[in-house]
Amino acid sequence: MMQQAGNLKKGEFIIYQGDIWQVQKTEFYSPGKGSALMRTKIKNVSSSKAIDYTFKSNESVEIIEVLSVEMQYLYKDSESAFFMNQQTYNQYEIPLDMIGDIIKFFKEGETMYVYVSDDKPLSVRPPVSVTLKVTHTENAAKGDTVTNAKKEAELETGAKVMVPLFIKTGEVVTINPETGEYTGRSNA
Amino acid sequence: MNVKASVSNLENYKKYLIIKNEIVSFLVKKNYQELDLPVLSPKLIPESCLEVFQTEFRNMSYKQKLFLTPSPELFIKRLIADGIGDCFYLGKAFRNAEHFSSKHSFEFTICEFYKLNTDYMSFSKEVLDLFLALAKKVNGKNYIYFKGKKISFESFEKITVAQAFYKYASIKDTELFNHKAFLKVAGLKGYKTEGFSYEDLWSQIYAQEVEPNLGISGRPTLIYEYPSVFAPLAKPKNKKVSKRFEVYISGIEIGNCYDELNDYKLQRNRFAIEERLLNQSGTIWADTDYGFLEAVRKGLPNCSGIAIGVERLGMIFSDTHNINDFKLINFE
Repeated sequence: MMQQAGNLKKGEFIIYQGDIWQVQKTEFYSPGKGSALMRTKIKNVSSSKAIDYTFKSNESVEIIEVLSVEMQYLYKDSESAFFMNQQTYNQYEIPLDMIGDIIKFFKEGETMYVYVSDDKPLSVRPPVSVTLKVTHTENAAKGDTVTNAKKEAELETGAKVMVPLFIKTGEVVTINPETGEYTGRSNA
Repeated sequence: MNVKASVSNLENYKKYLIIKNEIVSFLVKKNYQELDLPVLSPKLIPESCLEVFQTEFRNMSYKQKLFLTPSPELFIKRLIADGIGDCFYLGKAFRNAEHFSSKHSFEFTICEFYKLNTDYMSFSKEVLDLFLALAKKVNGKNYIYFKGKKISFESFEKITVAQAFYKYASIKDTELFNHKAFLKVAGLKGYKTEGFSYEDLWSQIYAQEVEPNLGISGRPTLIYEYPSVFAPLAKPKNKKVSKRFEVYISGIEIGNCYDELNDYKLQRNRFAIEERLLNQSGTIWADTDYGFLEAVRKGLPNCSGIAIGVERLGMIFSDTHNINDFKLINFE
């Protein structure tokens, strides 16, 4: 499917110079000299290398249609993460560099959506929210009443995030994996 | 879109106000007359690189199309032609078709200031003095830190557009101004050229290969002598280029300056070219402000003027990385 570069959206997969790239960031730009542009950061699905590329806003770009397939996150090694299609039991490997920082919030055994094109896994669709247990955080000092004050907490995946002072070790919190921000206390 | 109040931005907003107020006090101290100007106008200067917002005034059966001004230039140059002298406007400007981003908004704060009997290169010293005044205000020194990097305001790095295209994109002078040769080089570099104009490719290569290198060597960069096709309101220097410079800090365009064109015939010809480009593009455009041409004909004194994006300048001088972080009201 062809689309004008000015309409590109984060997360889409495009063909650029013969390779498949995922759009990581877009910024429309009208420089006040010449034509309007679309600044992007795109990541090559084969090499996981990210580049900055500026398209003309009215340039046609080929978008690849991808499937979001439900898969179980199995484990990761130093280079890749491994997922299993729960329908077919086929296993898929995705380089950690392609998944990016959100991997640190993935818990083994959890279900995720993996972008697949022609049975090739491209990347992981970032979950809107992840629910994780706090394995360690210091108790807040009494009398610390500064509003919006935060402290560090280590989660069960090993990731460290900032949480409000009232959160205690053993509690379950929700995190936006894309920003790494605490979004709430879970009742689960 | 929805309206969102962001009181959590109050601290950033206060930093922005200090910078905005310092710009005003610097210009007032330098004897520029402060101007309060309309943001709605029945006519505009035709500029093909901009798209505007249109509205309508109605009273009974009377109707008048009005446009939000993308720049106060049409008002200021009239006042200069009528003898107001050195002057400035700091207020809102509106540009359609510019999505929200970390450095863009369709509504923004512009500061335009004009000085008579100078030329754009001498005028650049005044711009540097403004930056110095801001650095002293926020940091007490001739420098600041932005994203962990020191930026000093004692001098500009100066480079012509032609030198920059050669240095950063390996495009020679002979290719830069020859539209056919330029499109050929762009094609060899891997850019899509079929169905696109010189202006399209020029902008793309400038943004992709040149711009990220500007203002990143510890001081602001002044890039000057733009092809005349990109400077319809600037005085020509020769057949190829016009007296326009832009100032960059850390890869971000901060200001745009011209030696203001005061040759009536040339301005009239450039109006005709811009009107033709606007008709072809199908963008929203206003009724042409021929009264502006009359002001130029009456006699616009030699002057230079610069337009500065105030939020962007605020970003740099408060080490804030997104203009939306200054806003108490955002649209989502």
